[in-house]
Amino acid sequence: MFALRRWWTRHALTTGMVALAVSSAWVLRANDGALLYEAYHWVTRPLQPGMSREQQFENSYILELQQRIVELENQNQALQDLSAYENTLPGDGVRAAVIGRGADHWWQHIVLNRGSRQGVAPGHVVTAPGGVVGRVVAVSANTSRALLVSDPTSRVGAKVSRSRVMGVVRGQSNNRVVMEFFEKLPDAKAGDVVVTSSYSRLYPRDVPIGRIESLDLTKSPAPEATIQLSSPLPILEWVIIHPFEPLESVDIPTLPTSEDQVAPSEARP
Amino acid sequence: MTPVVRTTSRLPLFKRPWVINSVVTVASVLFCLLLLPTRLPGMELLGVSPHWLLIWVVAWSVKRSQWQAAIAGLVLGLLQDAMTSPHPTHTLSLIVVGVLTARLQKQRYLQEDIVSVALIVFAMAVVAETVLALQISLDQLLAAESLYPPLTKIWLYHQQVALSSAILSSLWAPALYYPLNRWWDRYSTEG
Repeated sequence: MFALRRWWTRHALTTGMVALAVSSAWVLRANDGALLYEAYHWVTRPLQPGMSREQQFENSYILELQQRIVELENQNQALQDLSAYENTLPGDGVRAAVIGRGADHWWQHIVLNRGSRQGVAPGHVVTAPGGVVGRVVAVSANTSRALLVSDPTSRVGAKVSRSRVMGVVRGQSNNRVVMEFFEKLPDAKAGDVVVTSSYSRLYPRDVPIGRIESLDLTKSPAPEATIQLSSPLPILEWVIIHPFEPLESVDIPTLPTSEDQVAPSEARP
Repeated sequence: MTPVVRTTSRLPLFKRPWVINSVVTVASVLFCLLLLPTRLPGMELLGVSPHWLLIWVVAWSVKRSQWQAAIAGLVLGLLQDAMTSPHPTHTLSLIVVGVLTARLQKQRYLQEDIVSVALIVFAMAVVAETVLALQISLDQLLAAESLYPPLTKIWLYHQQVALSSAILSSLWAPALYYPLNRWWDRYSTEG
């Protein structure tokens, strides 16, 4: 008895702990670990998804449909704009999507998804809502490549719509163009509309190009105006290709029309 | 020696190593060509995209002789001319790039890791744009009715193009150099 008592005083704490451990483990086991799972649930709460899976999928599906509607509305708007623009044009053109940009840094090209199979040929003029974009320089069966008016090698004969002052519009590589006037003191001011002139051999007449942004009359050899293009060249998605026969040979004289009375003889861009 | 030759010649054509290697090489060039007109987001800086063909020429020339590099430059230059405009030509700039890269390898201070390749591509992009700008300047000076803008504008634009092209190309160079070089290494050890 005394021995038992001495053992108890020595090992009471250990025995108590063991008993507690075993009994609590037994209790947990009896509950099928419900307490553990509750704790697990509580600990992992920040990681749990907020909604049930079905709800989530449903929600994302609805979101997808809404976004699709937004995209379709935008596409529809763009095509309606293009269609309205197309109806205002006299001739018939080929609608084309811009599928690529120049394969080099020095040339400003766009690649269009219509080619010789759809009747596109080099020399045809490309326009977009806003005005002139460029001209087709190469075609394959289903694609064509257009040289933009902002290309450094591009020249467009142009005139200021208000005062009939003639000049030539040259590209400046980074989606900017400048207009060089033939006269020393041109009658032009910022905000004037610039259109292609009838002396242009590569473009049809009276196609809008843009507006004069600023003027530099001191520029030598010819006064110069910076033009803000009315068609957004860097973000073009759709364009229209118009059949046009360019007069590439310089020997054929172009006859001035009634509205272009002042005819500078060197105006042959 | 002889059994190896016999087994390889007995293989069907599409399984022979040299056929597979050429197919992979041609496919990589085609891939680069198709990347040229695209402007994917992240691949554009001031309207300039990476010069994929230049990266390809550098990757090709790093471990090859000058002649091989020059021929690669010629072929890819012609291909790029086909996609843009043949005048002024891209062959010259890509040949110069290939030959310079092939000569560089003999010097000891450049190794063949990705950082050195990015550096080589950076320098070569500047060289390539300079060769093009020189051609355009010559055309402007010599041709009677040159369409190009005056020299000051050409070289101002050259600065902009060369810098953006060099930065973008050198950043994208490992994406092309690493798989291609791995492939060519494996092919050379197999063959």
